[in-house]
Amino acid sequence: MVPVSDSTAAVGDSARTGGVADADERSAVSRTSQVLRQLKRNSASRVGLYVIGLVTLVALLTTIDADLFDYQFAATFWYHPENDPAGSTILLPPVGIENSFGTGSWAHPLGTDHRGRDILVRLVYGTRIAVQVGLIATGIGMTIGTVVGAVSGYYGGWVDDVLQRFVESLYAIPFLILVIAIMSAFGKELGIAIVGVSITTIPVFTRLIRSQVLSVREMEYVEAAKAAGVRDRHIIFRHIIPNSFAPVLVQSTLQVGVNILIVASLSFLGFGVQPPTPSWGQMLAHSRQYMIVNPWFSIWPGLAILATVIGFNLLGDGLRDAIDPRSND
Amino acid sequence: MTTTGYIGRRLLQIVPVLLFVVTVTFVLINSIPGDPVRILVGPAADAAAIEAARAKYGLDQPLYVRYVRYLAAVATGDFGTSIHYGGVAVTEKIFERLPVTLLLLASSFTLAIGTAIPLGIFAAKNRNNGYDHLARVTSLIGVSTPSFWVGLLLIIVFAYYGDLLPPSGLIMPWADPASVDGATSRLDVLVTAASHLVLPSITLGTLQMAAITRIERSSMLEVLNKDYVQLARAYGVSERTILRRQAFKNAQLPVLTVIGIQMTTALGGAVLTETVFNINGMGNLIITAVRAQDYQLIMGTTIFFAIVFVLGVLVVDVLYAVIDPRISYGGGAGE
Repeated sequence: MVPVSDSTAAVGDSARTGGVADADERSAVSRTSQVLRQLKRNSASRVGLYVIGLVTLVALLTTIDADLFDYQFAATFWYHPENDPAGSTILLPPVGIENSFGTGSWAHPLGTDHRGRDILVRLVYGTRIAVQVGLIATGIGMTIGTVVGAVSGYYGGWVDDVLQRFVESLYAIPFLILVIAIMSAFGKELGIAIVGVSITTIPVFTRLIRSQVLSVREMEYVEAAKAAGVRDRHIIFRHIIPNSFAPVLVQSTLQVGVNILIVASLSFLGFGVQPPTPSWGQMLAHSRQYMIVNPWFSIWPGLAILATVIGFNLLGDGLRDAIDPRSND
Repeated sequence: MTTTGYIGRRLLQIVPVLLFVVTVTFVLINSIPGDPVRILVGPAADAAAIEAARAKYGLDQPLYVRYVRYLAAVATGDFGTSIHYGGVAVTEKIFERLPVTLLLLASSFTLAIGTAIPLGIFAAKNRNNGYDHLARVTSLIGVSTPSFWVGLLLIIVFAYYGDLLPPSGLIMPWADPASVDGATSRLDVLVTAASHLVLPSITLGTLQMAAITRIERSSMLEVLNKDYVQLARAYGVSERTILRRQAFKNAQLPVLTVIGIQMTTALGGAVLTETVFNINGMGNLIITAVRAQDYQLIMGTTIFFAIVFVLGVLVVDVLYAVIDPRISYGGGAGE
């Protein structure tokens, strides 16, 4: 679910309306429930929530019950129920469709890949990687980016200059190439992929927060806090960052989608998690050689990526509309 | 400050950014495990041959010496030589591949901007009716689709099943007709070049198109709700004139920002598109370099990508100033 806590939503609200809104406890509660109501009423964001829920459920199922989807079946090469490599049917089409390798059956609803592995099971395991990297990398990038952006915007001067040039240079290297460079330097592992994608996420949030801070910095209550001798750290973490919560929440949701796309692209180029661990991008890379004999192999993983990313985009758009109803229509 | 002064100042700001880029790339590349010299000389080489090769490429020096040397060399435009391509200058390799990628980028951005701006305006004009919903759903799918998958689908449909367009390669429109298969005249070359360009441009342009459509629509909507537009409406100015005269230009600033941001996405996307369509451009070059652990080539291509991007952003910033004369040249980043 959406982690909209009462207090932060309230501060976000008062900042948005220029401090005019009464940010007491009661209006905070009503504001949050108003956002939630807006979200529920918006059918697009509801669809987004359902998709994300489904994807998360699938990803969790594979960790809770390994027997439900046989991991060996997904990961091992040349696997077949009888454990007989020669007996497995490769490049089988989905159920009810026929190609030169045979007719698809319910045993493999979406067909099999070039090694006779079940495509559905591999898709299910691919979900885990995509969701893991998408969520964790976004979380790390958001946290670091937010702090850097807040410090940069709050202090200004040379601190701002140095941090901004650094962030700009991170931005200047196309992020796909940056992650590839990081992964070839430190290893093609899941952890490194997460770190790489988080680094490319940092500038997005730094820019966002910095521009927010520049406007919040001049607000009366921040001036009042300064005048009252409140420490800088306290002002940044207690006042400035919570005040920029709403746009960060929207951007994070959208960024999860972007990061899932980056991870898929990496795997497609051969720089993601390494085989036999299944990932969506890697499945697409494998499918390239078999596009004529079994195009279905190329279609399913792409649909999985598309559906997941659409889910996060719908929710992100819905959140933006709910938090700031003027932004759209 | 004058426009020229502004451009000059922005050019100066580029210097520290590129210095950072060079440093980050250098540190990363030198953390790569494995020995490029060994790959070069092959497993059969003896210790003396390895040492000789190491000295030849300056790899026997300590890291900081190599860094300072590299910086000095890059400052004079020398990016070293490529081990993988047998000692060819990195810049030579880059300039051989750069036109291919630039052609691909130019063509896909033309496609993206050319379709997105009318589509976005059209959607804003028809807000909340069927056309608008169609445009919104299309652009939502566009920003959510992996570009390389679009490429694979296009190849399946148009190259294999439809047999309409070539599935791989790219021909330069200025290529010599004698070097192009089945071409006898300049016109043949142009037609072949165009047919090769269609699928990769759609592949690379889809995301840009969708992103620009979305921002164009919301930006137009915002402007159309402004007081001065309402006033114009109240005076009986036709909706057409409002769109053309009052709303269009003012709505383009956020659009430009998004186009600027999309450039870095597109450079990464070029790597994917070139892989899908087997195009020998910069993207393919960098992947080859990484696979072959060709340090100099990886660094050179990465830095070049950054230069292309930074210059692109500069162009966007200057366009910004042209579109909106109110933007102060003295201020910070023109957000």
